[in-house]
Amino acid sequence: MPLIEINDFSFKYYGAETLALKKINLTIEAGEYVVITGPSGCGKTTLCRTINALVPQFHRGYIAGNVIIDGKNTREHTVAELSSIAGLVFQQPENQLVTLNVEKEIAFGPENLGVEPVEIRRRVEELIELFDLEHLRDKHPHEMSGGEQQRVAMAATLALKPKILVADEPTSNLDPKSAEIILDLISSLNTRGMTVILIEHRLDLVSKDAGRVVLMDKGSIVADGLPREILSQDICQDIGVGVPKATLVYKRLKEHDIDLNSVPLTGDELAGLVKEASHL
Amino acid sequence: MIMMENVSFAYDGLYTALQGVSLQIDDGERIAIMGTNGAGKTTLVKHLNGLLRPNSGRVIVDGVDAQHYSVAELAREIGLVMQNPDHQLFLDSVEKEVVFGLKQLGFAEDEIKERTDRTLLSLGIKDLSERSPFTLSGGERKRVALASVLATEPHVLALDEPTIGQDARQKEKLADMLMELNKKGRTVIVVTHDIEFVIEHFSRTIAMANGSIIADGPTSAVLSNNEVIRLCSLTAPQLTQAARSLHTLFPNVPERLTLLSELEDEIVRILGGV
Amino acid sequence: MSFLEVFQYTRQESIMHSLDPRAKLLLAIVLAVVSLLFLEIFPLLIILAVLIPLMAAAKSLRRWLRSMKGLSVLLIFILIFNTLLSTYSNPLNYSIALVLRLIALMTSFSSFFLTVQPDELSQALIQMRVRFEFAFAMSMAMRYVPTLGQEAYAIMDTQKARGVELDKGNILTRIRNIVPIIVPLIIVSIRRALLIAESMESRGFGASKNRTYMEKLSFKKRDWAVCIVSLIALVLVFYIRLYIPLPDWSIPF
Repeated sequence: MPLIEINDFSFKYYGAETLALKKINLTIEAGEYVVITGPSGCGKTTLCRTINALVPQFHRGYIAGNVIIDGKNTREHTVAELSSIAGLVFQQPENQLVTLNVEKEIAFGPENLGVEPVEIRRRVEELIELFDLEHLRDKHPHEMSGGEQQRVAMAATLALKPKILVADEPTSNLDPKSAEIILDLISSLNTRGMTVILIEHRLDLVSKDAGRVVLMDKGSIVADGLPREILSQDICQDIGVGVPKATLVYKRLKEHDIDLNSVPLTGDELAGLVKEASHL
Repeated sequence: MIMMENVSFAYDGLYTALQGVSLQIDDGERIAIMGTNGAGKTTLVKHLNGLLRPNSGRVIVDGVDAQHYSVAELAREIGLVMQNPDHQLFLDSVEKEVVFGLKQLGFAEDEIKERTDRTLLSLGIKDLSERSPFTLSGGERKRVALASVLATEPHVLALDEPTIGQDARQKEKLADMLMELNKKGRTVIVVTHDIEFVIEHFSRTIAMANGSIIADGPTSAVLSNNEVIRLCSLTAPQLTQAARSLHTLFPNVPERLTLLSELEDEIVRILGGV
Repeated sequence: MSFLEVFQYTRQESIMHSLDPRAKLLLAIVLAVVSLLFLEIFPLLIILAVLIPLMAAAKSLRRWLRSMKGLSVLLIFILIFNTLLSTYSNPLNYSIALVLRLIALMTSFSSFFLTVQPDELSQALIQMRVRFEFAFAMSMAMRYVPTLGQEAYAIMDTQKARGVELDKGNILTRIRNIVPIIVPLIIVSIRRALLIAESMESRGFGASKNRTYMEKLSFKKRDWAVCIVSLIALVLVFYIRLYIPLPDWSIPF
């Protein structure tokens, strides 16, 4: 059984005029790394909130269809119940750190769920080490950079030991270096078995690690498949999605009847393919 | 024309944000200011319109020391669009927001109406003019905030991180609008992390680190410099990475910053296109 | 406003800092009550003689002195006005006592706020059976104060850049000019609150009636000692106040 099953799911926020999600069908197996992208307003933000039941339990509206996470239907389970299955990391680090220091922040989630204090302490120590937060242990959120804050936010989410990590544009407000660090962290979590769903505009940074790209536009899924297949299609540019430059070069070369062996997602891949092609 | 002469500034007299910054901005330039968070980019830009005043050194606007002007007076010359549009919006209609900006700077009634309509139209939000800004989407709110500043037609337009959270199409539209303004003779200054955006649209780049300017010149030169990239915590853009890698085997491929069409042509040359 | 410095928590290691916040609360209340019981100079001086070493025990003597300096103008003002306008038989006496009492009261409460971390306060409240949601709301408010402050400054900068002049004009203009600051501040705060709520919900906030706590406060021997001594002192002082007439050591004017 897939870990995430979205069946014919539609959603309209109270007071909205149009559907935010239109008959979405999506299945995600355990261990996948899926990138969801699309122009502003396409519904990706709403979609990621269906995975931990924020939609429809917190964001109320009209729903049709079902979302089943690890066998649990989000119509029938609370956000709290799903918090130990799917963890959400949001765009603004500042709004995810609600306590006065890092230890307390990481402990917040497990404390809410009534986990034994000794176990909470164990998880806090483990995560501080995993995310390299030792030097930040007693710091107030205000004393940390955006990148550090976001690392703490991730650690705090993982303290609940979810199987799924959903990240909604986690690097938007970060400088390029911090963004890389966060994305590398996410990638390594996936290598260790975490199912990852990442919403991101900057495909040049994430498509090389992702196993799958889902393209959305106006509330529907318009493409779903391997990054190299999806990003080389014209639909990306039609809907206004930022395709990696290396991939754009690949497409332009095709217009010159030059067919490289595969679709490049990074500058190095492009160079490698050109070198390959030149030896023929 | 704006000049900064050896400007130093420290927040609360303690935290040094700018150290001996000197630069000259001529009319009609297109400049990007890049650097890590805390390098002083926003601090620098705030000195241009008087929000911050130098502890030492001078800021000279069109030949006059800026300290003789109030922020409101400088706002006529230099329009600063900050990162968060929600810090600006407080009225109950889009039109009122734009009118407010014009009223503040003392424009006449008839001019106000005309400018408002024109600006809303140019940003594609005319049909939203009666809507409350609070009900609009993030991207729309950004455009309203921009409209409010653009309507006053300042000679210099400075934007603080305008591309954050924008999708590719929105960025393109923003770039088009900035290019249009620049063609009409306005100076456009952008503070950003987005290296691809800068390479494509800005001819001059000022790179900052630790409160000082570490490089100031043509974008292609500044952003090809590995030290600059490192000190500004940037990642070399994909095309430059590809060009560098290809250069090792094909020395004719330039090792510096490369535009898409350039690289395309080089590769076609290498592989012998039809 | 520098006199407020003495009510701000400082991260330090001292005897006072290491006491349980509940013990410190009791201590502060007892000290304040004792200060309120007297309007005679000599007893108040004795009380201050107890309080000042307490400040030293909190490694905050310099802070305290700075605050007192900041307050000195106000204190002298009170002194002068009360002496001139008082209908008591010994006005100067009365005024000095008033000033001393004010200092004593401030110092009593400062001994609490200076040495109790907002977190600890929150935990203390929870263990004193205050509902988690309320205690947490309090500590969240404290956590977001600097953020809100920064936001307010950013909004002011943004509006100034549009030509809004915040420091010009008569009182009416100035009040009107607050609107472009307050409205965005409120809206931004509401938006922020919704986002914070999302993050908290996603981490199970409000899920279980049996919420656990990683670090709990527990009374050590020294905390019990402080409590017992405070209570004994309180009883003693009440007894003295009620039954023992104090010699008249007042200044005769």
